[in-house]
Amino acid sequence: MKRVALSSVCGWILAAVVSAQDMPLSQVLIEGEDWQLMAEGYGFTDACAADREGNLYFSDVKNGNGIFKMDLTGKVSIWRDGLPGISGLQFGPDGKLYACQNKQERLIRIVPGSGEVEVLAEGVRPNDLVVTALGAVYFTDTKPQEIHSVSVRGEHRVVHRGDLMRPNGITLSPDQGTLVVSDHGAKFVWAFRIESNGDLAHGQPYMTVATPPRTEESKGDGSTTDAYGRYYVTTDVGLQMFDPTGRLCGVIATPAPKAVSVEFAGPGLAYLYLAADGKIFRRKTASAGVLFQEPPFLARVYGAAAR
Amino acid sequence: MILFRVVQSPLRRTACTVARLRHSAGMHGLRMIGKVLLAAGLVGVGHGQDEVYQKGPDSMAKSGVPAGKVTKGKWMSKIFPGTVRDYWIYVPSQYDGSTPAALFVAQDGSGFISEEGAFNAPVVFDNLIHEGAMPVTVGVFINPGAIPPIEETSKPRSNRSFEYDSMGPRYAQFLLEELLPEVGKTVKLTTDPKRRVICGNSSGGICAFTVAWEHPESFGNVVSHIGSFTDIRGGHVYPAMIRKTEKKPIRVFLQDGASDLDNLYGNWPLANQQMAASLKFKEYDYQFVLGEGKHSGRHGGAIFPETMRWIFRDWKEAK
Repeated sequence: MKRVALSSVCGWILAAVVSAQDMPLSQVLIEGEDWQLMAEGYGFTDACAADREGNLYFSDVKNGNGIFKMDLTGKVSIWRDGLPGISGLQFGPDGKLYACQNKQERLIRIVPGSGEVEVLAEGVRPNDLVVTALGAVYFTDTKPQEIHSVSVRGEHRVVHRGDLMRPNGITLSPDQGTLVVSDHGAKFVWAFRIESNGDLAHGQPYMTVATPPRTEESKGDGSTTDAYGRYYVTTDVGLQMFDPTGRLCGVIATPAPKAVSVEFAGPGLAYLYLAADGKIFRRKTASAGVLFQEPPFLARVYGAAAR
Repeated sequence: MILFRVVQSPLRRTACTVARLRHSAGMHGLRMIGKVLLAAGLVGVGHGQDEVYQKGPDSMAKSGVPAGKVTKGKWMSKIFPGTVRDYWIYVPSQYDGSTPAALFVAQDGSGFISEEGAFNAPVVFDNLIHEGAMPVTVGVFINPGAIPPIEETSKPRSNRSFEYDSMGPRYAQFLLEELLPEVGKTVKLTTDPKRRVICGNSSGGICAFTVAWEHPESFGNVVSHIGSFTDIRGGHVYPAMIRKTEKKPIRVFLQDGASDLDNLYGNWPLANQQMAASLKFKEYDYQFVLGEGKHSGRHGGAIFPETMRWIFRDWKEAK
């Protein structure tokens, strides 16, 4: 009874609260859990990505020559050698590992097992990427201020230019309807709607990133999303967390400077992994990541086509 | 029934309120029930000590008072690209088109027009306009925008926080360049800022303040209930800005409750007291009402007719 009466009295505010519940860091961080050093001795760790089991994949952009795999226990092996300069990784729905091979100026995907390389785009300098559950790729090309796409049919084109000073990290909302891109050279994270034809529409500087004193450059870099729709962005002041409505909920202290890549991986995808200063760290959370290579939750429930 | 509490000394009043709440077992019990309900996810806000606030006779339809008309519209914005929103226009029966009407704009508009809601603004306006306490006023009640999804399995992206919590001129630009010109096609609106009021609750409250702060030549009156003058998107700096900025010609009404939010963004009662203290320091024409309520519209709604009387107390002279 009480509930009915109240919801009619305060319908407007209930609606607002339901759509935008406060999401403090305490919902994610666990008391007593801190960053653990998992691997070190690399030149410049980057490109964190997870597979379904929670294994982590990463690269060493500076000194490495391929892709490393860290299993759930923290043991590191070389997953694919002979592919230097990778700055972004994610598995696609086809099980292949998509990669930004920045220095070689190409976007590729690697067939597991054979290690065969398929080239998706050339003459670009992809920084970071995201692959949708349908297999469309979006990636940032930072210097010319561009966001590119490679459609399911393999068509490569520029879908956004300008607005962002240095488009860098890239992720999706859990329902994959919204593309989210960090701006290394400004204090915003942008959100775009993904249209039926793969275009980006209605870009907005949806999130405002905390910046160090005397600069508007956030150094916003690697970005990821959790299952609740919270966004995580590495910046110069720490790992910043935003709620689904774009409100900054807090800054998680990073264990080393120059954090550039973040991903949920590990058991249950419940660990935040961080590439920083040539090291890999992880931290247990009360949240969990979302794998974009799998159909979004509602699409799975209703069996509708996912993007 | 607590309808209206004028606060002469906002800071002392808070101390009293807080002290009384601490010693009131009944209130404590209600608060505990509230916490349990909150924990159970049954209610978000608006219970417990708020129940003391009830709508009075000016918020109910009176016989012999002509009722205005409310029409609904839908707006697709370019300034907030891709957003769609509902809005409602209230035109009082006394409006005859011969003279421009005063203007009242509310954010989270749907909550202000619902008859069962905390505000029931159309009926309040019917009553006060009929009585002569308010000029003939057109109400524009606007919901925040949302970017509708392409796929049925995607959710709309709420633009409320981006529009309401952001400082700066963007939302005012949306009102002044997009929506109000559209409203102006069907009703004549005054350009006199003294007869233009902007209102909102929570994030809508700070949004209302931001609009008048950016454009005092357009809105000379602000009504904020449980306003979020906290650090959601940097709005906690307003008290300091008010103190250091040349006084603007804005009349400000603020309401908050001693049991309002205390969360990651800030403490609402303290933030509103800071606002009131800064407005006082800068000798603004302001009123601050601090009640006992939580983060709900009940108190603001209960006193809404009195608030509108205060805002328009000199409308006849100001002509």
